[in-house]
Amino acid sequence: MATIKPIIETNGLSFAYHSKTVLKDCTIQIPENQFTVVLGRNGSGKSTLLRLMAGLLPLQKGSVRIDGIDLKKLNSKQRAGLIGFLPQKHKAIFPFKVDEVVLTGRAAQVRMIPSEKDRSIRDEAIEMLGIGHLKHRIYSELSGGEQQLVMIARALAQQPKILLLDEPVSHLDYNQQIRLLRLLKKLVTNGKSIVTVLHDPNLALAVAEYFVLIHEEKVSHIYADEANYYKWIQSVFSCDIQKVEREGVSFYIPRI
Amino acid sequence: MNRKFAIFMIYLLPIPVLLVSLLIGSSENIGISDIFYLFFEPRDSSELARSIIMDIRLPRILLVFITGGMLAVSGSVLQAIFRNPLVDPYVLGLSSGAAFGAALGIATVVIPVQLSAFVFGIVAVGLSWFMARKNKEVSIVSLILAGIITNGIFTSLLTIVQIMSDPFKLQGIVHWIMGNFHNASWDQFSLIIIPVVIGFVILYFFRWKLNVLALGDEEAASSGLNPTRMKIWILLAATLAGSAVVAVSGIIGLYGLIIPHIVRMIFGVDNRRTLVFNLLLGGSFLVIIDNFSRTMAGFEIPIGVFTMLIGAPFFIWLLKKSNIGWQQ
Repeated sequence: MATIKPIIETNGLSFAYHSKTVLKDCTIQIPENQFTVVLGRNGSGKSTLLRLMAGLLPLQKGSVRIDGIDLKKLNSKQRAGLIGFLPQKHKAIFPFKVDEVVLTGRAAQVRMIPSEKDRSIRDEAIEMLGIGHLKHRIYSELSGGEQQLVMIARALAQQPKILLLDEPVSHLDYNQQIRLLRLLKKLVTNGKSIVTVLHDPNLALAVAEYFVLIHEEKVSHIYADEANYYKWIQSVFSCDIQKVEREGVSFYIPRI
Repeated sequence: MNRKFAIFMIYLLPIPVLLVSLLIGSSENIGISDIFYLFFEPRDSSELARSIIMDIRLPRILLVFITGGMLAVSGSVLQAIFRNPLVDPYVLGLSSGAAFGAALGIATVVIPVQLSAFVFGIVAVGLSWFMARKNKEVSIVSLILAGIITNGIFTSLLTIVQIMSDPFKLQGIVHWIMGNFHNASWDQFSLIIIPVVIGFVILYFFRWKLNVLALGDEEAASSGLNPTRMKIWILLAATLAGSAVVAVSGIIGLYGLIIPHIVRMIFGVDNRRTLVFNLLLGGSFLVIIDNFSRTMAGFEIPIGVFTMLIGAPFFIWLLKKSNIGWQQ
């Protein structure tokens, strides 16, 4: 397993908003073609880490390499081909239709207006997320969960090698959460690398092949390991969690 | 089907509007036959009719059309890049900045009017943007408030120019500020056509990218655009076209706000289409308003008076309807 080459490497990454340090000396590798889950408490710097890797925040200290290339050396078009990013929340101002929103994912490839090819890639992405029925609906009138799926389709239409998803399931119902995670797993099988922030330790363990754990400014990266998982999540979330085993599967249930 | 019909209508609309407008004016001796002769049998047309149509009415109508079109286009573009449905060249202070620049050019003679209008138009929009920006974000309401301040500053500066200028010119300047076309001429037309065409071509090139920018900076950046650089280009182009028309027409308030909303209601929000529709509807509708302003009273009512009177309730209605986030 250790021979898998890293698709993202960060080296000594630190970041502060004004005087508040969010990330300190973060050096991690994210393996290619794997499902990586980022775990950490609110405000621990998960979103910041994702944004830094996506090139959406200026690098203050340290460096990021994407697919072996320094992030700073990538122009925005090359970067868009490597990394797709799903922000935690998106506020719509204008009543764009769903297909118009998804099409904007093609921006890096479009000179003036999108071509037939761009439109068919858009349609594939919409199909893949199973939101064909929403195609002509107004984005801003959809539910939070549906909007989330549209924005994921938009990131897919960009056809990046890596998808960075900041809490992709946060607005979805249980059914949708599971369907989306299944889809993301399928994308990994098809060759994409996925990095996603999740909050539910059970869902995380169900999908993750690799973990990035953020705890008290310390960032560690490690392969999924059920034996140690209990210890990890107890320290990351600093709370009383009970491990229940049934038929060889472990469940993590909080004591409330 | 309905939308197809609407698209067909909007392409067709300018033709009857422009033709009918040629017949409207203080001289009642121009009929449809004069226009027919002028265009198809020039040798048989009367000198008087030729002069009224070609030297007075046609340049004015074209100038009004371009002005209306460009105000609507730059309004829609500003709304998209600022992600703010309540702005237009007037609200952002572009109009008052350009008006001050133009007045300065007229008063001092040595400064070219168009250049001065453009520079102060840019300065005004930049000022509004700068004032409204906090933590890299520009909220809808703070941008409008910043626009009010900018408007105040440039209106005051304009007053100073007015006080210092020749009292005989003053009436003209006052009329011109209110938005007026009674001095329209081919000279003015040729003065604005180049910046207008350049500005529009640039915006036309970016018309789809406007959709991407309208989703937000982070969304645009993550899909491979450089939102800041792109916005600066678009802002320059919109200001070039916007300030050029303000320099000849004066301040036509809120017009650039109304038309883009009407276009969106009919045709949706996709800027690929709406850019041209704003030009056509914005142009045609202002020509119609101008016909009223020319003929409703014995004297000419400044066109800016009409647009403000229509625009103000429209603005309030938009504010109420769209429950635009005061908190944002």
